[in-house]
Amino acid sequence: MPTDSRYDYVSVRLKRSKVAKDKADLLQGTLDMLILKALSLGELHGYGIIQRIRQLSDEMLNVEQGSLYPALYRIEQKGWVSSKWVVHETGRDAKFYKLTRAGRRQLEAEEASWDRLVLAVTKVRQAT
Amino acid sequence: MKWFNLLRDRIRALFAREIVIEDIDRELRLHVDMQTDANIAAGMSPDEARREALRSFGNLPKVRDAAYDVKGGGFFETLSQDIRYGARVLTKHKTFTLVAVLTLALGIGANTAIFSVVNELLLKPLPYRDPERIVMVWEVTPEGRHQNNSSRGNFKAWREQNRSFENMAAFTDQRTNLTGEGEPEELTAQFTNPEFFEVLGVDPLLGRPLLPEDGEADKSNVVVLSYGLWQRRFGGQASVIGKPIMLNRVPSTVVGVMPAHFQFYIRQRTGTGRPAELWTVLPMPETPEADRGRFLGVVARLKNSVSTEQADAEMRTIAARLSGAIPQYNKDWSAEVLPLREQFSGNVRRPLLLLLGAVGFVLLIACANVANLLLSLATSREKEIALRAALGASRLRIVRQLLTESFLLAILGSLVGCALAWWGIKALVAISPRDLINLQNVGLNVTVLMWTLLLSFITGIVFGLAPALHITRLNLNDSLKEGAKGDSGQASGSRRLRNVLVVSEIALAVVLLASAGLLVKSFINLQQVNRGFDSQNVLTMVVRLPEAIYKEDPQFVRFFRQALEHIQALPGVRAAGIVNYLPFYGGLGSATGFTIEGRPQPLPGEEPTTDVRVADAGYFETMRIPLLRGRNFTDVEMREPRRVVLINEAMARQHFAGESPIGKRIDVQMFDTPTPTEIVGIVGNVKYESLIDEVQPTVYFSHPDLTYAFMTLVIRTEGDPAALAPAVHREIRSLDPNQPISDVRTMNQVMSETLSRARFNTLLLGLFAGLATLLSAVGIFGVMNYSVALRTHEIGLRLAIGAQPRQVLVLILKQGLLLTLVGVGLGLLAAFALTRLLSGLLFGVAAADAATFATISLLLVAVSLLASYLPARRAMRIDPLAALRYE
Repeated sequence: MPTDSRYDYVSVRLKRSKVAKDKADLLQGTLDMLILKALSLGELHGYGIIQRIRQLSDEMLNVEQGSLYPALYRIEQKGWVSSKWVVHETGRDAKFYKLTRAGRRQLEAEEASWDRLVLAVTKVRQAT
Repeated sequence: MKWFNLLRDRIRALFAREIVIEDIDRELRLHVDMQTDANIAAGMSPDEARREALRSFGNLPKVRDAAYDVKGGGFFETLSQDIRYGARVLTKHKTFTLVAVLTLALGIGANTAIFSVVNELLLKPLPYRDPERIVMVWEVTPEGRHQNNSSRGNFKAWREQNRSFENMAAFTDQRTNLTGEGEPEELTAQFTNPEFFEVLGVDPLLGRPLLPEDGEADKSNVVVLSYGLWQRRFGGQASVIGKPIMLNRVPSTVVGVMPAHFQFYIRQRTGTGRPAELWTVLPMPETPEADRGRFLGVVARLKNSVSTEQADAEMRTIAARLSGAIPQYNKDWSAEVLPLREQFSGNVRRPLLLLLGAVGFVLLIACANVANLLLSLATSREKEIALRAALGASRLRIVRQLLTESFLLAILGSLVGCALAWWGIKALVAISPRDLINLQNVGLNVTVLMWTLLLSFITGIVFGLAPALHITRLNLNDSLKEGAKGDSGQASGSRRLRNVLVVSEIALAVVLLASAGLLVKSFINLQQVNRGFDSQNVLTMVVRLPEAIYKEDPQFVRFFRQALEHIQALPGVRAAGIVNYLPFYGGLGSATGFTIEGRPQPLPGEEPTTDVRVADAGYFETMRIPLLRGRNFTDVEMREPRRVVLINEAMARQHFAGESPIGKRIDVQMFDTPTPTEIVGIVGNVKYESLIDEVQPTVYFSHPDLTYAFMTLVIRTEGDPAALAPAVHREIRSLDPNQPISDVRTMNQVMSETLSRARFNTLLLGLFAGLATLLSAVGIFGVMNYSVALRTHEIGLRLAIGAQPRQVLVLILKQGLLLTLVGVGLGLLAAFALTRLLSGLLFGVAAADAATFATISLLLVAVSLLASYLPARRAMRIDPLAALRYE
């Protein structure tokens, strides 16, 4: 179930004043999805999430480190991930994040949403 | 889920901020460390690796802030910061805070107190079932006097003939002696038909109410007690039901107890000065003589389908019918129906509403003051605010913080205001006239309090918001520059607003002062009305002899003569006498018809009426009522019936103009058979019932001729009258140890209670006027003070180039005076328009009394000058060098 009607691109409404905001939200939503996806493959700490996203995208997506943590905390507040401090392999403590059941459901919804978006945009692109 | 987490994070940050920050720091540091390690693994040197890691991370503090924004205290934290900052600001500007809080508190306190009282008296439902359907039914005399008592005969006819009322009950209050266990006690009993309790619809707390069977001929006397009496005399024991007691030496049985606070006290016509404390059956004998006397009050419950107007119309019709059917008794008498609420509070509605107006004014003034203060404060903090903005605070943040300060003020003001209100209500109840029903139970009305608090918060917000928005809109750059302070730098708009506020304050104060002044003058006039007697040093008390013991008239007469002999012999007693009812206390004077012998007889029912009193020669001497013509009662006439009477001046003037009444005979309709009496003397007029109304013709009978079972002793003493009371009581007891006395008070006390309502109004309004004046003075002080503070630079300049300090003083004073004069002018105009609303309460003074208006105008101008003086002096003392040096 999509959480935002912003992702309902069947009826697109681009109010002039909202363009910039929509763009940021779009990016926000995408980042959330990437993080959730990265965690769906296993628990990670923040640094690890960035590495994994880089890996999975063949170095094409390099998440800015500064925007990761606020996003991560927001996701945690929404209940999609949970965190705990564990002792890292090199003896340091690290905060690990794990996808929750709700998070898994959110990931599926976001992915479906994204697919719809891509489909719509592709259709438009392919029109002559 | 989200909300729960959000709240949890916020609260955690509120209490353990450092831990949250540390947590974030740890995580971010770890991230950088891991990046550093990766860099080292990729071949960089440790230093370079760390630098690169930090750089690629981005702005660490900014990220931390962004992260904290999500996880941190959020709204609550900024709120708590705002509150703490606000508290510091308020502590720093102590005078401002003190004045603002006090002003708000006064406005809130006064409003809540008065609203609570008004609510209790005018709005709260009366403590009976469906009180809006209960009405009083009175007779109206042929001369048009309202709320006259009815008689048994008429009541029976009304009850039979009406179709408007579900139920009707007659009642009368009388003094009764309660004896048996404990001290003999005199109290007021309410004699009623058994339907009385049904009409009012109140069930007893214990036992049963009076029932129709109780009225039957052979039944023994039953009594229902009031809650107060039950607690006081019977210890609140349930075993009181069925207990035998002696009422005027007649055995009676207690059958019920009424709930707490139940009473039915109609002061004017049936009142004995005190609410009844027990109820018993009103005897309704079938003899025609019993039908005549008009001494009953009648209360009735309207049928659901009938309105008060319809009932009133029907009663008038019935009265007209009775006027025709029994003309010798009812000719030209009418009837009227009055809703119960009107009966209880009709004559306080207008003053109370006026009071509401007054208090509303005061609140407005208080708000204006607070607004002014807030404006001034905001403007003086321009620099501080500009600095915060320059350091990065958003406009929203600053406005929010200023708003928080206003809230704090509002809260403080409200707290103090609540305390004032609570205390104020107690004070109001203490000084209020005793007969205002419900008033004794009034407490802090929570609804009213809520409304007032709401009002204060709105004030705080509105008057805090306006300057906040205004200030943050200013060009902050200018504010930071030097030399931008002073009148020139300030928006003239805000100065004009402040001046307008002060001028309105003064105008409102003028209106209040004018009203108060008029009331004070009325009150003084009222007090100075010649009542016809001298109330100084007179002790009074009521003695009621039980009919069961003193069966015959001569026995009553003898008791009182003996009592007077003893009392007159006491040291410290100058004179003593008896009268049935004192002026202004405890009962009507029995108006009734009379005829003059030797004159053409008027048609039956058209006789002129006179008031009737019973007194002895000592009464006139004691009360210093002058004997104008003829002679007083002789000793014999005070012991044996001799059919002589005294009349008052009003009677002489109205009915014996141009001739001497002495020796003429009149027949007053107080007896079953015609009873001519001879007029032997004329005494001065005495105001018995109202200070304002005309004195009615009055006939004085001697006790043997018209024997009452109770009389009021009046005793003129050398010194303090109250001091002699125990001695007098002893003399009474020496004649009969079981005889109680009651209503022991000095005549001055009686007069004081009579004036209590007028005094109440005057005191209250005076209080508010005083409050308004005080607040206005504070307002002027604030405005002038502030103006001087802002113009320090300019004043310093003036002084530096040669102006005399005195000239500066005058300058400031002139400014203050200008504001005042404008305010007073406007206020006088408003007062002219508004004081006519008071005309119902005024006595002997016009609503636009020039002297009063002039006096208060001068007063206000003087007060304003005084309030401007301090700031003016401060201006005078400005050191020009210092002023010029520091911008």
